[in-house]
Amino acid sequence: MHKTRSLNRTSPVDIMARTGKWIYLIFFLILTILPLIWLIISSFKTNYEFETQPFALPVVWQIQNYIKAFQMANLGRLFLNSVIVAICTTAFNTLVASMAAFAISRENFRFKNGLLTIILSGVLIPIIALMVPYFKIVSGLGLYDTLPGLIITYSAINIPISVFLIHGFMSTIPKELEEAAIIDGCSFTQRYTRIVLPLSIPGLVTSGTFVFIYCWNEFTYAMLLTSSEASRTLQLGIRFFRSQFVTDYTSMLAAIVITMVPTIFVYIFMHNRIISGMTSGAVKG
Amino acid sequence: MRVNKNWKQIILFLLPALILFGVYFIYPLGFVIVTSFSKWNGISAPVFHGFKNYIELFQDETFRLSMRNNIVWALVLGFVQIPLAAVMAMILARKPKGWKFFRTAYFLPNVISQVALAMMWLAIYNAEFGILNNLLEMMGFEGLTRNWLGNMDTAFPAVLVQQVFYIGYFMVVILASRMGIPDSYYEAAEIDGANVFQQEFYITLPMLKPILITTMTLALAYGMRHFESTYLMTNGGPAHSTSVMGILLYRNLGALNYGESNAIGAILIVFGGATIALIRWLFSRNLDADDGIQ
Amino acid sequence: MKKKVILMLITTILALSVVMITGCKKEDESKADQPAKQELITLKWPTIWVGEDSKAPMIAALVDEFNAMNEGRYKVEIEANPDYDAYRNKLNSQIAAGVVPDLFVLNPDPTSLSFYEGDLLMDFAEELSGSWGDNFVSGAISGATIDGALKSIPYEVGYTPVWYNMDIFKAAGIPDIPKTYDEFFDACEKIKAAGFIPTSQMTGGTNAWTSMLWFSHIAASIGGPDVWEKDITDPVFVQAAEILRMMYIDGNTSKDAVGGDAGVSGGHFLAGRSAMFINGPWYIGRVKNDAPDVFKATKIGPAPAVEGGFEGAQIGFPQSNLAAGATDDPAKKEAVIAFMKWMTLPENVKKISMDAGSMFAVKFGVDDGEDVDLVQGQFMNAVNDSAFVNTHFQANFATDVVAEFGQALARMALGKATAEEFIQQIADKID
Repeated sequence: MHKTRSLNRTSPVDIMARTGKWIYLIFFLILTILPLIWLIISSFKTNYEFETQPFALPVVWQIQNYIKAFQMANLGRLFLNSVIVAICTTAFNTLVASMAAFAISRENFRFKNGLLTIILSGVLIPIIALMVPYFKIVSGLGLYDTLPGLIITYSAINIPISVFLIHGFMSTIPKELEEAAIIDGCSFTQRYTRIVLPLSIPGLVTSGTFVFIYCWNEFTYAMLLTSSEASRTLQLGIRFFRSQFVTDYTSMLAAIVITMVPTIFVYIFMHNRIISGMTSGAVKG
Repeated sequence: MRVNKNWKQIILFLLPALILFGVYFIYPLGFVIVTSFSKWNGISAPVFHGFKNYIELFQDETFRLSMRNNIVWALVLGFVQIPLAAVMAMILARKPKGWKFFRTAYFLPNVISQVALAMMWLAIYNAEFGILNNLLEMMGFEGLTRNWLGNMDTAFPAVLVQQVFYIGYFMVVILASRMGIPDSYYEAAEIDGANVFQQEFYITLPMLKPILITTMTLALAYGMRHFESTYLMTNGGPAHSTSVMGILLYRNLGALNYGESNAIGAILIVFGGATIALIRWLFSRNLDADDGIQ
Repeated sequence: MKKKVILMLITTILALSVVMITGCKKEDESKADQPAKQELITLKWPTIWVGEDSKAPMIAALVDEFNAMNEGRYKVEIEANPDYDAYRNKLNSQIAAGVVPDLFVLNPDPTSLSFYEGDLLMDFAEELSGSWGDNFVSGAISGATIDGALKSIPYEVGYTPVWYNMDIFKAAGIPDIPKTYDEFFDACEKIKAAGFIPTSQMTGGTNAWTSMLWFSHIAASIGGPDVWEKDITDPVFVQAAEILRMMYIDGNTSKDAVGGDAGVSGGHFLAGRSAMFINGPWYIGRVKNDAPDVFKATKIGPAPAVEGGFEGAQIGFPQSNLAAGATDDPAKKEAVIAFMKWMTLPENVKKISMDAGSMFAVKFGVDDGEDVDLVQGQFMNAVNDSAFVNTHFQANFATDVVAEFGQALARMALGKATAEEFIQQIADKID
């Protein structure tokens, strides 16, 4: 085994694969890191520098953009709200979607394909077209200007994508595992909690990450469905730098950087810990 | 088909999702479709006038162009972005040096707000001080410099390109699925003398088929309802050349033309649904049918 | 492993139910609060005049003062709605869902003026016919009246004269601002020769703002005070479009003008690259703070006049009107009127104007000794010196037609359409 490997390493195919691989990796790295570097540098500039020389370094690094971002938009309270909304939505949505995906992917019943198609078609719906009905629904439920209003709305909006994604993962789990469990006397619910759910953690984490980021970055409905600071989220804070005619771009970028940091940590944490830690063990074992 | 003996539990498990879906999708969709047959400004009562909104839309050159642009978006996201993402997932799954760093880095653009990304791309493509033109000049291609987003020939590709390369979103999905394939498969293949390309082609690709179809379907859907980065970068201009259905929908919404706006929404859903169904049907003929949708 | 999953699920459900319960509790408390302080009338005011808006600090101070004066009777609560587009979307959606805010700011364009339909808004016609109405500049009240109903009170107005960078004019050897378009295009040649960009233009954004204002100036100069009463296909507009087209060719504007947004057109002026630019008084602060050299060199003046046309045209328009949801409750109506009177009190308006640099439909006196900003003073002079004031294109057409203006303009600027075809494209959008 060791021998074949070392042989392969020097073959022309392998050299090609390795160079190609690194070109590919670096090309995309530049494309994705560039915005981040640009964003961080820009957030330390004056508006004048930003508007006239968007790619130059700032003459003086403007720390006060960050101070202003913190002070002006009351980011603390909004931050807490965003955390609550994002965590509750992710948990609620993942629970509901995984239950539905489990039923659809692991059981046979009439209309199951039709049902999945209908739910999937929800992905197509341009959500901005639904401002009027969503306002009606949320105020009809008495949830206007409350965090639960946002949580339920976000959970619902993400149902199609979550169900679809989790279904995609669950349907790859071998049927034999469950059959064995049924013989061992596992009930329907136990199959869900003990067999399928642990095995589809990569799917749950992936879909959960998307939902979390959606909640964190969502603006239109956060604006539409809330009015007081008690229930507003970070994205509203970012918009405080944009008035009718004049935008304070660089303070806005500073606020964007501040709000971005937690999402990056959530992403790194979720993926490093859960995917590579827990599941590689679970799948193998 | 015989009745599944677990039908009670199945219904119980489906119910929460169905309630949410019903309230937040079926009801609003009904609202959208009903009002799409009317002239309504949100203030006075809607005046129903049959298919007038639809007929006018299909007669409108801008709308037809927007539809065409949406199809291009869908195809490019589905058949360019997904393969790019899949190749990246295959590379990262082999855990090259620093793969965790790469994986995080590629996903970052999805974390950065679209507003900031659009601001940067506007600056890159700018005709007066943009770095793209500067780069071309430095390399001696002065003839190629132009106002990328202000030119009817280049604006659409320019918006498209900046989005296509953000593969992180789908790469993460594909990678999560790829990590589920046991290493032993590859070890066995390597002993048999298969090179990396052969391994990826004969082992990974077939195993990833379900997830590739899933992501491709999503990419197609996102292409059909594409709105945000176009809105932020060009707002459909210049001269409608980058317009998509979402832009027209939003503009009509702002002008209180709810009837027309909702007609666009309805067309988008029906037309997008048909495109996706068609593509999935084409694929399903070559694939195992157990993926769910046929 | 399994336990962890179950644990996660349980925590989730617990967390959710806690949020739900606290959410419901909050509702109950607020309901329980109401009967105790029955006489207090709370008015909610979703407003964009928060955050970065230059009027924000003074508006907040005036609301606080109003609340203090009327303690126990009225209370106005500001609901911050930053981001103008989102504010409009929210307002439109709320109204379509049958909910009208207690107080709000209405942009008097044809789209928003459709809120006058039905019984959504409070009618102030009666109240403003008395001495209160005398506080307003002439024509403001009648301009906001439709079919005898005055459902929004004229408030902030915008004037958009031309901003000239006199340093560039000097560098190009031009002694004064151009009076006619012959002089204008002559000046453009000299400005280009000196290495500068003659005009700031833009076709992007939602309304092609800067260029839409240039177009309005040219049309006013050709067609006179009642130019907007003419059909859009009138030769006046074709002629105006032709002059606008000339501003886009031969390097008369920046290379990024087609597709550019307000950041582009304003950015070139701020950077001292472009010589002529159009914007309202709200931009004074930005130039003053970010580009002090340009600020010093700025001269505010009229746009050139078309020969044989009307001289002394100026562009000004109602920018924001104050509106309120209709109510059957006489006490609430009284509260709304008290607040409206407070906000339109000349001395209060003067405070906002002096602090923010914005201009209003309410008259107030400025004493000689008072410190009026140099450029702000020039703005006032530009308005006072004008022979007549016209509204802009945007005030006369629905928002989708305004959007079409930018798209059609890009086509013309790129040489894919003539001035006639440009006008025709806009006309096709008007039903």
